[in-house]
Amino acid sequence: MSVQTLPGTAADAPTTSRWRSLITQESVATLIVSVLVGAAVLLPLFTLVVSSFLVLDPGGFDTAWGFDNYKTLFTDRIIPRAFVNTLLISTGSTIVATVLGVSLAWINARTNCPWRDRLEPYNLIPFFLSPFVGAIAWHNLASPKTGLLNAWARHYLGIEGYLINVNNIYGVIWVTGIFFTPLVYLFVVGSLRRMDPSLEDSARTTGAGLVRTTMTVTLPLVAPGILSGAIIVFVTSAGEFGVPFKLSAPYGWETLTTQIFSKAVGDDANHYLGATMSMALGAITAFFIYVQQRYIAPRSFTTVTGKGFRPNVIDLGRWRWVAFGYNVAFILVAVVLPILCLFIVSLHPVWTAEIIPSDMSFRNYEKTLFFWRPDAIQAATNGIFNSLILAFAGASIAMVLSLVVSHMIHRTKGFGSRVLDFLCVVPIGFPGIVLAMGVLVTYIKTPIYATLWILLLGYITRFFPYGQRNIASVMLAISEELDQSSRMAGASWLTTLRRITIPLLKPGIFAGWVLLFIIFLRELSISIILYTSGTETLSVGVYYLTNFENEPLTSALSMAQTVMLLICILIFRRVAGREALTA
Amino acid sequence: MTTVSASGAYLEVQGLMKWFGSDRAVDDISFSLPKGQFLTLLGPSGCGKTTTLMSIAGLHGIDAGVIRVGGTVYTSKADGIFLPPEKRDIGMVFQSYAIWPHMTVKQNVAYPLEIRKVERREIDARVADVLRLVGLADMSEKLATQLSGGQQQRAALARAIVSRPRLLLFDEPLSNLDLKLREQMRVELKRIQHEVGITSVYVTHDQAEALVMSDEIIVMSKGRIQQKGGPHQIYARPINAYVSNFIGVANLLKGRVVGVTAPGRGDVEIAEGGHRVKLSCQLGEGVAMGEEAVVSVRPENVHAERVNGGGQRLEGEVLQAIFLGNYVDCRVRWGEFEWKVLAHPRDRLREGEKVYLRLDPEHTLAVQQ
Ligand SMILES: Nc1ncnc2c1ncn2[C@@H]1O[C@H](COP(=O)(O)OP(=O)(O)OP(=O)(O)O)[C@@H](O)[C@H]1O
Ligand SMILES: [Mg+2]
Repeated sequence: MSVQTLPGTAADAPTTSRWRSLITQESVATLIVSVLVGAAVLLPLFTLVVSSFLVLDPGGFDTAWGFDNYKTLFTDRIIPRAFVNTLLISTGSTIVATVLGVSLAWINARTNCPWRDRLEPYNLIPFFLSPFVGAIAWHNLASPKTGLLNAWARHYLGIEGYLINVNNIYGVIWVTGIFFTPLVYLFVVGSLRRMDPSLEDSARTTGAGLVRTTMTVTLPLVAPGILSGAIIVFVTSAGEFGVPFKLSAPYGWETLTTQIFSKAVGDDANHYLGATMSMALGAITAFFIYVQQRYIAPRSFTTVTGKGFRPNVIDLGRWRWVAFGYNVAFILVAVVLPILCLFIVSLHPVWTAEIIPSDMSFRNYEKTLFFWRPDAIQAATNGIFNSLILAFAGASIAMVLSLVVSHMIHRTKGFGSRVLDFLCVVPIGFPGIVLAMGVLVTYIKTPIYATLWILLLGYITRFFPYGQRNIASVMLAISEELDQSSRMAGASWLTTLRRITIPLLKPGIFAGWVLLFIIFLRELSISIILYTSGTETLSVGVYYLTNFENEPLTSALSMAQTVMLLICILIFRRVAGREALTA
Repeated sequence: MTTVSASGAYLEVQGLMKWFGSDRAVDDISFSLPKGQFLTLLGPSGCGKTTTLMSIAGLHGIDAGVIRVGGTVYTSKADGIFLPPEKRDIGMVFQSYAIWPHMTVKQNVAYPLEIRKVERREIDARVADVLRLVGLADMSEKLATQLSGGQQQRAALARAIVSRPRLLLFDEPLSNLDLKLREQMRVELKRIQHEVGITSVYVTHDQAEALVMSDEIIVMSKGRIQQKGGPHQIYARPINAYVSNFIGVANLLKGRVVGVTAPGRGDVEIAEGGHRVKLSCQLGEGVAMGEEAVVSVRPENVHAERVNGGGQRLEGEVLQAIFLGNYVDCRVRWGEFEWKVLAHPRDRLREGEKVYLRLDPEHTLAVQQ
């Protein structure tokens, strides 16, 4: 065989000049994406900072620079208390979620609890559902007068008044806690499962008993995971809007998020004060996320010393049935009971805490779903349409963005990659409602305000890091040499992306897509700030119904949303498999 | 067609520098290679072999220098020229083989031709040809994940050569294979390279691999070239103690040149192991009268004899004699210095025995430190 040079290759290529060689597909794409991501992430935050110093005059027409908004944070009648409530709720739900999450993870990963592999997916379901809808369900279950459980208690136990009351911050703590339990679970279960058993074995051989080994070796090794999970729950709870809005705000327990909301919308809206409150909330959450990312997350990897270990399974003896009961109880309380209650309520014309089979019908579903009927409620039917559009478009755009961004972070490795890496963490540090305030004050005077575009922008900016992480975890597992050999084979950067990188990343891309689709389908705290009449989303529809209609109609739309989400979970588990979330 | 520069060099690397932060991964490397030759970059881990290879491949930019292939400038820092990797027409085999797991062997190998928009029928023919060449003819429909390590490596090679590139680059392609397969693949790889006749640059830290396969070897250390030469030259005439020690095994003794008897010959006074003797040596490049030098003697060039036959002899005691079938690996104590000696099993050296080591001046080499 002789060596021939093929046409169109190096031999004919004219000497490239200096500036031409800088313009490659890769560098152009990097530049565009960096500028886009940078603008999307930093602009709202920048505007938020600026507008927090703008003081609205009493007439509400003019603004002046000053610190008055910040003073108001302390002198206002409600805000300081809302601040305290937020901290109490976050602390409380962090405790609930951590205790539940760690114990469930330990049971599923390390004990011989019966059917633990079957139970795990159900333990994780709250992760995908809407906490707002959860709050609605719990309101119907355990509000003093119209709560089903309280009605039963009165009827069967002969109790006067009520047994439990969720219309206060304890109710918020409870619902937020059980909904964020899977977050802690996911942070912990991976390291429990992949922990090198010899670490524990060597403790056992020194004579330490099971309890002692668990306390002195196992738990400290997963401590970074627990701490990470706890911080994330704390931050997410602080930014949670739907639950306090439904359960506590109407009864006098305001939080920062409900206060931001009431300042951001309505006739006497003061965006600048809303921005200032957002700054306060954002400063707290960003601080915690910084600590978690910088100091705790890097440590959690040291507990994992490789894969392929079969962790020690602890024989609980007869206690394993207790573990099993505990696990099932969680599923009943967190998943089955609320959904069942929603369904029952949704079948009644009005809800009086009494199940009346003869009254039951699907009327409420017709009014909230059948958009072609004249008596359909616009806010609900619009919400379904808009959410599907937003979820589909948002997940698709975000995944394309994530793909390019991950590629730049993990393959290009220049200065730009470090900047992008940073930009991908920033949105995680700010609750949706805070970022939405930033987006609102930035774009309120542009044509995209009052369109779906502003919602899309808000969604993608806040949540594309989740998609990015999904892709990055797969990308890190794939050798860079697979890409490089395509370049060497003569394929351009784009061709390589299309023919090698994307096909290899397909599972990660699709898992990320479905995850974002789910997140967008139930999104509330961004939508509630950015929607206008006509651009309601599914959760905004639920909000509308709970505010202006009745509980059964609210429950009907909530059920519809829940069913859509459950279908997505099924798909997600199909495509992503069991390890996808724990990665 | 390709142009070849006046010197006959096909691949030219001049003054190549690559920094990672303040870390000089490659520090001013220059070499050239005639067409069709097989060059090996040899050196310990972290000495900059991969970095050099990546620079040639265009998988990263460089901080100084020029890289030219067949007269075409691929990278030139000074002129701001950087040809993207896909335009370089280089075939590359990676350490991990990098066979795409979502394609069959055939699809993998056809890829470079598809990219070059070769006609379908010709693609099929050439892929079949090259698969036969590497011995994978009946594996073409298998998925990459169904191949063994050795087969993946052959597939990677097939993919690298199928477009008949101007240059082939190998980055430790054999290091993931077990010893036996590695030895077999060395010969195989060399045969295929010879058959297709593509100029090749090969990276390894395995000196045996380098000696077996190469036309030229470059020994590197800390981002710099220590020596360039043919396998025989590198082995027999290492330029300094580092190369001598890195390639094969050598007895290294510090000393000073005390006399030059003829051009390239002289006496070196050794002060090692409590002895002070003068050895008659070949003087390596850069070793001059009065200078410090290191005397390097290969174990197979040290002869242990029971009787003192005169000439250059050192009296010692056998510390250890390990029988390895075709030779005996001996340690001989000479004061505090231990000589490594390869003896013939016939000699039947025993531990504790007194022996005289004869050093042949022809094979006793004084090199730079
Ligand atoms: N992407 C990088 N970023 C920072 N430093 C790097 C990078 N790649 C290589 N280096 C450094 O450059 C030096 C040379 O690395 P190189 O990979 O070329 O070594 P090598 O000779 O191929 O070693 P090995 O035999 O282990 O593959 C090393 O010190 C390494 O730490
Ligand atoms: Mg290397």
